[in-house]
Amino acid sequence: MSDPLAVLDATAQAELVRSGAASPLELVDAAIARIEAVDPELNAVVLRRFEHARVEAASEDLPAGPFRGVPFLTKDLACPTVGEPQTDGMRAAKDAGWLATETSHLASRFCRAGLVNLGRTNSPELGLVPTTEPTAWGPTHNPWDPNLTPGGSSGGSAAAVAAGLVPFAHASDGGGSIRIPASACGLVGLKTSRGRISVGPSRGELSSFLSVQFALTRSVRDAAALLDVAAGPEPGDPVVAPAPSMHYRELAVRTPGALRVGLMIRAPGDTSPIQPECVIAAEHAAKLLEGLGHDVEVSHPEAYDDPDRSAMFATLWGVDAAVKIATWENLLGRTLAEEDVEPATWVMASSGRDVLATTYLETVSRMQVWARAMANWWAPGPEGHGFDLLLTPTLGEPPVPLGTFAPAPGDPFAALLRAGPFTPFTPSFNLTGQPAISLPLHQSAEGMPIGAHLVAAYGRDEVLLAVAAQLEAASPWADRMPRVHA
Amino acid sequence: MPDDLAMMDATAQADLVRTGAATPLELVDAAINRIEKVNDQVNAVIHPLFEKARAAAGAANTSDTPFHGVPIVLKDHDGSSAGDPLHHGNKLLKELGHIADEDSYLFSKLRAAGFIPVGKTNVPEFGLMTTTEPEAYGPTRNPWNTGHSTGGSSGGSAAAVASGMVPVAHAGDGGGSIRIPASECGLYGLKPTRGRVSLGPEGGEVWAGFVQRHVLTRSVRDSAAVLDRLCGPMSGDPYFAPPPARPFLDEVGADPGRLRIGIRTSAPAAMAETDDECVAAVEDAARLLESLGHHLEMASPPALDETELASLFVTVMTTDVVREVDAVGRIAGREIGPDDFEPLTWTYYEMGKTYTSAQHLEAIDGAHAWTRRVSSWFASAAGIGGGGEFDLLLTPTVAEPPPEIGDLVGTEQDPLRGMARATVFAAYTAPFNVTGQPAMSVPLYWEASRNLPIGVQLVADHTREDLLLRVAGQLEVARPWADRRAPVHA
Repeated sequence: MSDPLAVLDATAQAELVRSGAASPLELVDAAIARIEAVDPELNAVVLRRFEHARVEAASEDLPAGPFRGVPFLTKDLACPTVGEPQTDGMRAAKDAGWLATETSHLASRFCRAGLVNLGRTNSPELGLVPTTEPTAWGPTHNPWDPNLTPGGSSGGSAAAVAAGLVPFAHASDGGGSIRIPASACGLVGLKTSRGRISVGPSRGELSSFLSVQFALTRSVRDAAALLDVAAGPEPGDPVVAPAPSMHYRELAVRTPGALRVGLMIRAPGDTSPIQPECVIAAEHAAKLLEGLGHDVEVSHPEAYDDPDRSAMFATLWGVDAAVKIATWENLLGRTLAEEDVEPATWVMASSGRDVLATTYLETVSRMQVWARAMANWWAPGPEGHGFDLLLTPTLGEPPVPLGTFAPAPGDPFAALLRAGPFTPFTPSFNLTGQPAISLPLHQSAEGMPIGAHLVAAYGRDEVLLAVAAQLEAASPWADRMPRVHA
Repeated sequence: MPDDLAMMDATAQADLVRTGAATPLELVDAAINRIEKVNDQVNAVIHPLFEKARAAAGAANTSDTPFHGVPIVLKDHDGSSAGDPLHHGNKLLKELGHIADEDSYLFSKLRAAGFIPVGKTNVPEFGLMTTTEPEAYGPTRNPWNTGHSTGGSSGGSAAAVASGMVPVAHAGDGGGSIRIPASECGLYGLKPTRGRVSLGPEGGEVWAGFVQRHVLTRSVRDSAAVLDRLCGPMSGDPYFAPPPARPFLDEVGADPGRLRIGIRTSAPAAMAETDDECVAAVEDAARLLESLGHHLEMASPPALDETELASLFVTVMTTDVVREVDAVGRIAGREIGPDDFEPLTWTYYEMGKTYTSAQHLEAIDGAHAWTRRVSSWFASAAGIGGGGEFDLLLTPTVAEPPPEIGDLVGTEQDPLRGMARATVFAAYTAPFNVTGQPAMSVPLYWEASRNLPIGVQLVADHTREDLLLRVAGQLEVARPWADRRAPVHA
């Protein structure tokens, strides 16, 4: 029997608690039941803390935040809570039964908002690839078609939210890892501006500032209200994004003025074909935007075509993989050998391990100069082009079958290269630090969700939320249900 | 025109132009005369831009820019001004007569504010030393006592202001290079918060964010008014500081209220022994602040006692040295070698080349984590991890009075002598480059026997230049320094 709570967003579920129509424990028990009933088909929730969650939900100490009593899931990557298991998708950490040694500011903020964390969702090893099939935990299946990938790296969270297990879940994005699964699973995926959400207390940046933390949601209002919870400076943050003029939940319901939108339907640098359904998704979004009074023309930043962007990203990504391995070696107190990690992880880490600091710094410097050329397209005034939004497909292809990114024996690089045509659009904005969002505005002929990707100038997260709310009202997606749903 | 322009700050000089009492050309000509009169004694200005300045002053239309027609000097490092020499204190670039082809936003903004650059000032090679004695251009001497160092790396700029050549000089600070020369030359020097002044378009961040740029001034109001013009993000900055609630100039003269200020007179990470005179300067400032109603106590962030700071600083800095040295090679179009650089620079270069990315990032991670421990001591820190109790930290700016010329420079027997000595002079300042917090040196104390200025440093939490400027304004009124005139003065 279908659970009516499964289709409610977090704002609606919180309202049930506020009005006394449901208790936190009832919401949590219902979510636990949904996970137990449906997750065997998905393999989204890999670490469960149901008993803790029930105790927290029943406790008078449950914080009276805006999401009091709403069930939640945390991606099994970063965002630690002290004393709780976490693996970052690594077999080595799973086998060691590793427990986190600190609580991140973000986990504390989720907790203070009254959210009840039910467990951790599947992530590829160290979050390095755009699918969610770690050997440690096995593949997560796409609720719309279990043979297909939910995307990655926040694929576990995406599958859980799309299937109605929880209304929203924590996610992170270092190369597209919020936006890719949002597109593949039909969700709202906001990659926030660099420095919008603190990654403290022990870290100042993640992946050379490429990676940001946030969430996957079904509704735009949930994304806005959760951002009010998650955003804001913490002591010693090296980068603090400019503060919004008011709460995001208020900004998200303000109709934006007429926006100038550039549409792009070919891959940056024209490196790979964009599949027709993805082109249609962007063109469909363009029509919706025009219908809402926005001005859409074919345009994109020239620097987006610079082939160097992929080389810069690959250098930083490889270095980050090596650093992540070294960090886990410290945590586990042992050396990690080739057989301890997945082949793709090993090749990526190997590519980064010997990169000299000078090469790294030279890459960062080059990237920062390139980022200025990118930003120019959004900049007002005589120097800039004055666009508000860039519109592209989120992905180059509809969700691909599970196993597509599996390393061929003897050629682990092939799998990594395969990610290129799948995700040609997203990584550039991890380099620039700009906010970007994937919205589930289109469905393919096969019934798969296909996202449209909107990118704003640095710091303007609120314009993405406002236009997303407009698009959600114009072309609602809440009633579309995947094949696997609670 | 008043006869003592040399003692007037930029705001007062701009008023002369605004009221018609002087023209931009008169101000610029007077500055050129002053430079010609005293520069031989201090060697502050190494690239005169006199003709260009006179042309700019002559062409300057009546304008409502805040510093219309006011002369300024630019440091020969920490920024690039198109068409002007840019040698970073390096002899090979000097030999090549290298000319910059790009304008840093900072310099465009200074010009847009009405300033007219009349010259470029001396720096130690690549700004790597806490004195200003490059082989390429020889030592800059302290106008208060020419046997002594100006400090560095903005020592040429400091000497130019302290000797009355110009009221304001551009400066940059990656380990103390604004505050140290401010302390040693009796000036006001504010290092803004990270991301306050854009480092573009040529770059996004320098030394992993340790470097900030601003100016050295005699008056607090000049520093605030210039910061109002320099601050603000530029397109494509990798990050920037949140904008101030109101203009910085409005903070000068505003009541800071009763602040809780911690005092520390032992060097962070035990990097230096602190000279009694420098402790005395802090004690004197503490009494003054107390008399102004603030609460002072011996306290500082415990994280300042941690010792890994120096090594992570060196890792980050030397990696960037490689980038700068290699850039010289590209300009020269040939292989570079140790003969093209000072021994210290070359040693840093060789060190920088040995680190892996993982080591570099480990240093940056260490810096970030340490920053959080320092920042949480401050009351303004918000968020889950906030809750500190102090508004400001008071320390010496430097651990020793201005050293003698030659004291920090390598010798034939010990070419790297400067390395350890530089650390001593940056011990109190460099930690706040790592944190990115704003910090300032205020000239309140002069060592009696040698007539040498000794500044004190005040540090606020991220983005709180407003607090620093309010207190600086208060101190400037309580113990004015504007009438103090260095022995070498135009």
